[in-house]
Amino acid sequence: MPSIEISHGCAKGERPLVPQVCRVVEITEETPDVKSFRLQTLDGKKPFDCEPGQLGMFGLLQYGECMFVVSAQSDEWVQFTVKKVGLVTEHLHDLAVGDEVSLRGPYGNWWPTEGCKGKDMLFIAGGIGLPPVRSFLLYCLEHREDYGRIDLVYSASKYDDLVFKEQLFDVWPNDPDMHVHVSLYHEDPQWDGEVAYTAPFLDSLELGPEDGNRVAVICGGPSLSRTCRESLLNAGYSEELILTTLEMRMKCGVGKCGRCNMGGHFICLDGPIFSLAEIATMHSDV
Amino acid sequence: MILNKQKVAALLDHLSGARDVFVPATVDGVAKFARYGEGVQPDFGMVNTTMPPKDLLFPQTQKMYHFDVDANGSYRIHEYDESREQVVFGIRPCDMRSIVCMDEVFLTKGFVDEFYANARDKLLTVCVGCAQAAETCFCDSMGVDPQMAPNADVMLQDCGDAYLVLAQTEKGEAEVAEWSAFTEEADAQPVTCDLTLKVDMEGVVDKLEGMYDAPIWDNLSIKCLNCGTCTYVCPTCHCFDISQDMRRKDGIRFRCWDSCMFSEYTMMAGGHNPRPEKLERVRNRFMHKLNFFERRYGMSLCVGCGRCVEKCPVALDITRLIDEIGAYDA
Repeated sequence: MPSIEISHGCAKGERPLVPQVCRVVEITEETPDVKSFRLQTLDGKKPFDCEPGQLGMFGLLQYGECMFVVSAQSDEWVQFTVKKVGLVTEHLHDLAVGDEVSLRGPYGNWWPTEGCKGKDMLFIAGGIGLPPVRSFLLYCLEHREDYGRIDLVYSASKYDDLVFKEQLFDVWPNDPDMHVHVSLYHEDPQWDGEVAYTAPFLDSLELGPEDGNRVAVICGGPSLSRTCRESLLNAGYSEELILTTLEMRMKCGVGKCGRCNMGGHFICLDGPIFSLAEIATMHSDV
Repeated sequence: MILNKQKVAALLDHLSGARDVFVPATVDGVAKFARYGEGVQPDFGMVNTTMPPKDLLFPQTQKMYHFDVDANGSYRIHEYDESREQVVFGIRPCDMRSIVCMDEVFLTKGFVDEFYANARDKLLTVCVGCAQAAETCFCDSMGVDPQMAPNADVMLQDCGDAYLVLAQTEKGEAEVAEWSAFTEEADAQPVTCDLTLKVDMEGVVDKLEGMYDAPIWDNLSIKCLNCGTCTYVCPTCHCFDISQDMRRKDGIRFRCWDSCMFSEYTMMAGGHNPRPEKLERVRNRFMHKLNFFERRYGMSLCVGCGRCVEKCPVALDITRLIDEIGAYDA
């Protein structure tokens, strides 16, 4: 089975721990507890160049900083999509357009956009796991001719928890050979679609490995990750062709402060992106 | 070239004229590397300090930058460099080995930690070889020579009444050239330092690969209190937290030592914790010392200083663990 080459430990940089001051230029309310923030430098430029899947440490000087995947980018801005779950993210949700924030990065590795060329792509995400996956999905859509059929399997607990609803329901379904499959975990008065957990929903779609020509990309919580990995392996996917982006608590972002290790690998520096085959060789507590 | 031990005090007076010199000394009941000066009596007979010298390069709490937030919410960041010329005089070979490990962590793999690098550039290391070992010392089992630290700028090998002076780096040569008022051209024979505590590391790194789910970790973690003492006294433990403090409109962002023994260390917002129990934390710490670091940087993260062996309140002993790993039959 051909494997896809993923770069590790490829991020480099000077003075990694001191942030730059940036400005919020646009805020989108994705759900009641998820907002996306577009950031620019104070003189209106893109804060840093990065590859899809890389990380940024975004925060407020007086409250702290947290690591997020760059959920989208243009030539002028980077975007982070933030769920309100703790102290820093609560304060981030109070931001208004024009407010100043701190940002450092980019950190970590990136999706193997080259290695996946010519493949069908199966993106699988749950809840707030969609933004990291979307960074790759958007790249594929921008370079549409380089990739085959694209499927997105996305679930959330309630209708309100679905992020990027406009893209999910109005934009992506109209993209050529892009197929969007959405389920909710629970019945919801606003929802008349599928009600199922992600893994059985995925099973029902019968999106097989196509003789190694389809790559699966997963991001979700621990139970989604575990069950969807099992579904894919049962469906015949090889571990080399199942990619994921991992998350742990991070402080430095550059493999020094210690806490985000999986065995001798640091998710912030060597990851966050690994194949299942790589993870299988690691001593993992994740 | 030799340095008579009776001349050491005069040499320290000379060195401390222009730089901060840190020597092994007991201050307020704690044996540590203290700034040489009034009230600090160097003790070169002390086998090992309780606190390691790592805070000279990686302070327990370190300001990284100041910031202020004005009335409009605008941020200004003022970078901060507290590093200054320092000499550590009397550091032991085990602790010098710990600096090899810390250099790997902070200075390699794509990102140079600017705060560590600044302090490292300004540190002169004068290592004193060991004439005697503590009961808890096992550095030679971890590949350290108790009378030789190859990465020290200046190595002083203990020869009884005098030290044999070896300048080992450019910085060390330049330094020793200034010591002629205190040194003599003579030869001396370093004494042999015998260590009674031994471990056999043969095969341990490879064997650990297959022992992640072995019952050995349960047995070990049951008595661990998760107090973190081992991580604070360890010369190679380098984990840190980053936090901030804000007074009115002025704030500082700082980092401080953290410990993998604490559950908050890996606790994520939202409540998920990949290492929720003592078992996972204890296993991670010892695997990091004996296997993970070896795989990543090609060297052990335990230097055999014995501090954790001596200070652990429940006698959780890494040398006994190494023995158990060696004896483990899967």
